[in-house]
Parts: sequence; C-alpha cells; structure tokens
Amino acid sequence: MQKKWQKKTKNSNISSIIINSFIWLFLIGTAMFVLAPLVFMFTASVMPASDVMKMPFPWIPKGIYWQNYWQGIRGNDGSFIYIRNILNSFIVASSVTVTTVILSAITGFGLAKYRFWGRNAVFMLIMATFMIPFEAIMIPLYLVVTKLGLQNSYQGLIIPFLVNAFGIFLMRQYFITFPDEILDAARIDGASEMMIFRTIIVPNSIPAMATLAVLTFKSQWDNLLWPLLIVQSEEMKTIPQYIVRFISEKHTDEGALMAVASIASIPILILFLRLSKYFIGGAALFSSRKG
Amino acid sequence: MKYPLFKSGIEQKKSRWGLFFVIPSILFFSLFSFYPIFTALYTSFFRKKLLSLQPPDFIALQNYAYLLKSPDFWNSIRATAVFTIGTFIPIVILSLILANFIVSRKRFQQFFQMAYYSPAVLSSVVVAVIWLLIFDPRGLGNQVLNFLFNSPGVDHKFLANSIMVQISTMVVYSWKYLGYFTIIFIVGLTTIPQSTHEAALIDGASRWQDFYYITLPLLKPTTVLVSVMSMLQCLKTFSTQYLFTQGGAPMAPINVITLNIYHTAIRDHRIGRASAMSVILFFIMLIFTWLQFRVSRSEEVSY
Repeated sequence: MQKKWQKKTKNSNISSIIINSFIWLFLIGTAMFVLAPLVFMFTASVMPASDVMKMPFPWIPKGIYWQNYWQGIRGNDGSFIYIRNILNSFIVASSVTVTTVILSAITGFGLAKYRFWGRNAVFMLIMATFMIPFEAIMIPLYLVVTKLGLQNSYQGLIIPFLVNAFGIFLMRQYFITFPDEILDAARIDGASEMMIFRTIIVPNSIPAMATLAVLTFKSQWDNLLWPLLIVQSEEMKTIPQYIVRFISEKHTDEGALMAVASIASIPILILFLRLSKYFIGGAALFSSRKG
Repeated sequence: MKYPLFKSGIEQKKSRWGLFFVIPSILFFSLFSFYPIFTALYTSFFRKKLLSLQPPDFIALQNYAYLLKSPDFWNSIRATAVFTIGTFIPIVILSLILANFIVSRKRFQQFFQMAYYSPAVLSSVVVAVIWLLIFDPRGLGNQVLNFLFNSPGVDHKFLANSIMVQISTMVVYSWKYLGYFTIIFIVGLTTIPQSTHEAALIDGASRWQDFYYITLPLLKPTTVLVSVMSMLQCLKTFSTQYLFTQGGAPMAPINVITLNIYHTAIRDHRIGRASAMSVILFFIMLIFTWLQFRVSRSEEVSY
C-alpha cells in the first residue's frame, strides 16, 4: 500500500515537471514572439538597408550605422520636417493630456461630491458619449472643425479631444470614496470650493490622474485618423503622418524607415518603462469597471 | 424632494458649485459628441459633396439604399466581420491561457506582464511599419516560417495574396493587443479567492479540473468583457489596414469600414454617403457597447 502511494507521487512529480517546463516554454516562446519585432525595429534601425533585408536576418548589427537616423530626421528631400512633426506630436499630445486630466478631475469632482438638480441626468449623458465612437462622428466633426476655421491648426488637432467620458468616469469613481468629512472640515475653516479642489482633491488623486495622463498621452501619440482628415500642410503634420509619407516616398530604404519608427517609439517606451504601473493599472481598471 | 431646485445657504452654494464644475464638459460634449452624431444622421439623408457650393439635395434614404446594393460596401462589412472574428477569438483564447500561466508562476510575473504589454504602447503606425518589413518577401516572416516548416525558399505572399493579407492584419492586431487583454485577465484571476482553489485541490481535483470547473466559470464575466472589448477595438481598426494599402497591399480584402468611410469622404468627396456609413457603423457598435454594459452589470459572480 505504502509503496503504491509512493509510486503515484513519483509519477505525478514527473508529470508536474513536464507541465511546468511546458508552461515556461510557452511563456518564453510567446515573449520571444512579442519582443522580436521590437528588437527587429531597433537593430534594423542601425543597419544599412542591405543588411536589413539580408536572408537570414543578422540579429546583431556589425556596427552602428547612424546614417539611418540622419536620413530619417533629414527626410528624403532634406527639409528636416520630421523635427517639426515630432514637435507637433508633443504639443498636441501634451495639450490634450493636460486638458483631459484637468477637465476630467473637475467634472468628476462635481459629479461625485456635489448634489445639484439634474446631476444624474448629466452623468447619464456623459456616459452616453461612451457609445459614440470617434470613427462614427469623424466626418461631421470634420465639418464642424472646418466651419470653425480650425482645419490645419493646433486648435483643430486638440479641441475635439479636450475631455472624454472615460476620464470623467475614472475620476468620479475615484472621488466617490473620498471622505466628505475632510471637505466639510475645510469648508468650516473657510476654504472656497476652488481652494478645496486645488489643495485637497488634486494632491490626493495623483495616482488616478497619472493613470489617466499616460493613457491619454499614449492614445494621442497614436492618433492618425484625425490628423489625416484635417491637416494638409507638411508643417502641421504629426509623427504618424510623417511615417505614412516616408513609406510612400521611399519604400526601399528599410534602415531609415526603422530609424524613423524608433524615434517615434522611444519617448513612449521611456514613459512606459518609467511609469509602467500606471499603464498596467490603466488596463487593469477595465476589469473592475462597473456601470 | 431629494435635490430641491431652490435651497438656502451652504447647500445652495454647494449645488451652484457642482453645476459650475460640470458645465465645461457638458458644453464640450454637446458640441463635439452629440451635435456631430445628429449631424451624421441628418447629413445621411442628403446628397452632399465636399467642397461643393451647391446646397445639398434631400434624397431621403437613397444613400442607405445605394449602400445596401453596393458590393463595395458589403465587401467592407465582410472585411470588418472577418477581421473582427479572426482577431478577437485568438486574442481571447491566447490571453486567457497566458494569464493563467503567468499567475501560476512564482517568479517573473512582472517581467512577462511588461513584455507582453509593451507592443500596446507603440503607435499603430509604427506597429504596421515594423510588420510591413517583416512581411516583405525577403523579410523575417518568410524566414521564420520556412525555418519552422523546413521549407526553404517558399514565399508566403503575406501582403500579396488576398487571404494572406487578411491573416497578416489579424496577426499584427493580435500581436499588439495580446498583452493588454492578458492583464485584464490577470486582474480577473486574482479576484478569485485562493481559498476556492485550495478547497478544490483538497477535494482531489487535478490542476486541469481546477481550471475547468473553478477558474473558468468564475472568470466568465471577465471573459465576456474581454470578448466585447476586443470586438469593439477590432471594429474600429484603421491604421493597420491604411498603412498596409499604402505599403502596396491589395485594398479590396482589407477595405474595412473605417477605411471605406475615410476614402468615400476624402477621396470621393461624398459626405452624405460617408455619413450613412458612419451611422451604420454607429449602430453596429452601439449594439456591442450595450452588450458590454449589460454584461458588466448582470454577470457579477459572488464567491
């Protein structure tokens, strides 16, 4: 009896070792599949085009071929327009991030901590905009922005994204748990509502605001469709548009193309590595989201 | 009278401040969300050309009638449906497996989460450009597949063949969003109390039985949520398909609905018809969003 039992444990030990190694292999294999294209981008960006398209691909560059970066920044026509386009992306993404965080916090605070006539209706209306995808309203939005004379301008790129329902919802949920007693204590001490917001609410909601900020910045950094619609001049284009242009101009110089892509990715990757908990926390928020 | 319209003293002051705090956002949403969606609906009943000085003609439902008869529009519906189904199913299954595997590890949990998530932070354009080079006839895609299947010299025509180019867009999208949904699953998994698993294991359940009879049913709300979210994400796809066609891939197989709206409005200048397509897209997505809300409300599990 004793022996049989021991044999069984031995067997299950072996099978659990097999399962364990399979799990590790699967995780590592997937990690390689996920990371290989990223590594490819960075290694190819420092290789001459002839090496990038060599079969098989030489994963380790022989030297650092900086000319790709120079060509990417200079552009095929030598106009250095990419620098301007990078600047545009920074201006638009940062402005949208700042306004989204501020407006979401103010609105979320108003909805969470004040009782006023029509509050629930306002909240329902804002949540209803969740159901209006940008892709469905981009054409009329384009007409609105053109009518306001804002096409081909920073205002035109920024204004349609000043705030969004997700941000307001996120901040409201965060503020609802904030103790009312602290706010009332501040009121008794004579603080105005604006002062309460600035000195009590803002400092206490940094994690939620940081999460919203990185998610907003990321999605604006990624925005291609809207600039495609309203920007015509090269000076007002953003990074994604420059990449589109670079492909159609000279599809052959793969090294320079990867340099352009690397330059576009480095800021957001640095942000991700420094603030990964906010990125991951932002994704995790959805699983606990309740309407 | 829960929220009296007229109040006195501090309550009234507070209620005015509340209104003051939400007014900027209300104005914003009125002008940049509600007004455009109603304009889209209104414009869809007109024959309206971009840059044309003529007043638009009212043509009632003719734009919709045209679309329902247009093979090009039905092709877009097909392309979008194929892309959505072909992308969200692998995403849901793979991220469910990965999340379970990661949670079962004692070490490197953080590393795997970060590694899988990293493509999601890149912009879609950069992602599309990287994969354009990988799918080049001389690129890594062919090299890796030929190495795995030991078939030297075969060109899989990732961007030329009409079926392969659809699969290619699915691979790109799944690659980008896999980690994102894995993290949502991980959060769902960690909310299942450890004691439930322990009870099952003490009762003699194998690891597989524990997964099948305990984890999977308790994870159902997360699974449904991930499914609907990834479907919504896929219905909105634009950049990958746009970049691929710019990079020389054939248009018809991957002419998804957003791409079609963009071309109809900007290249063909047919605002009325593009608006009708937008309204149809809006209603398709409305159904899915409504589903998402219903699901996240009703599917709560108690442990």
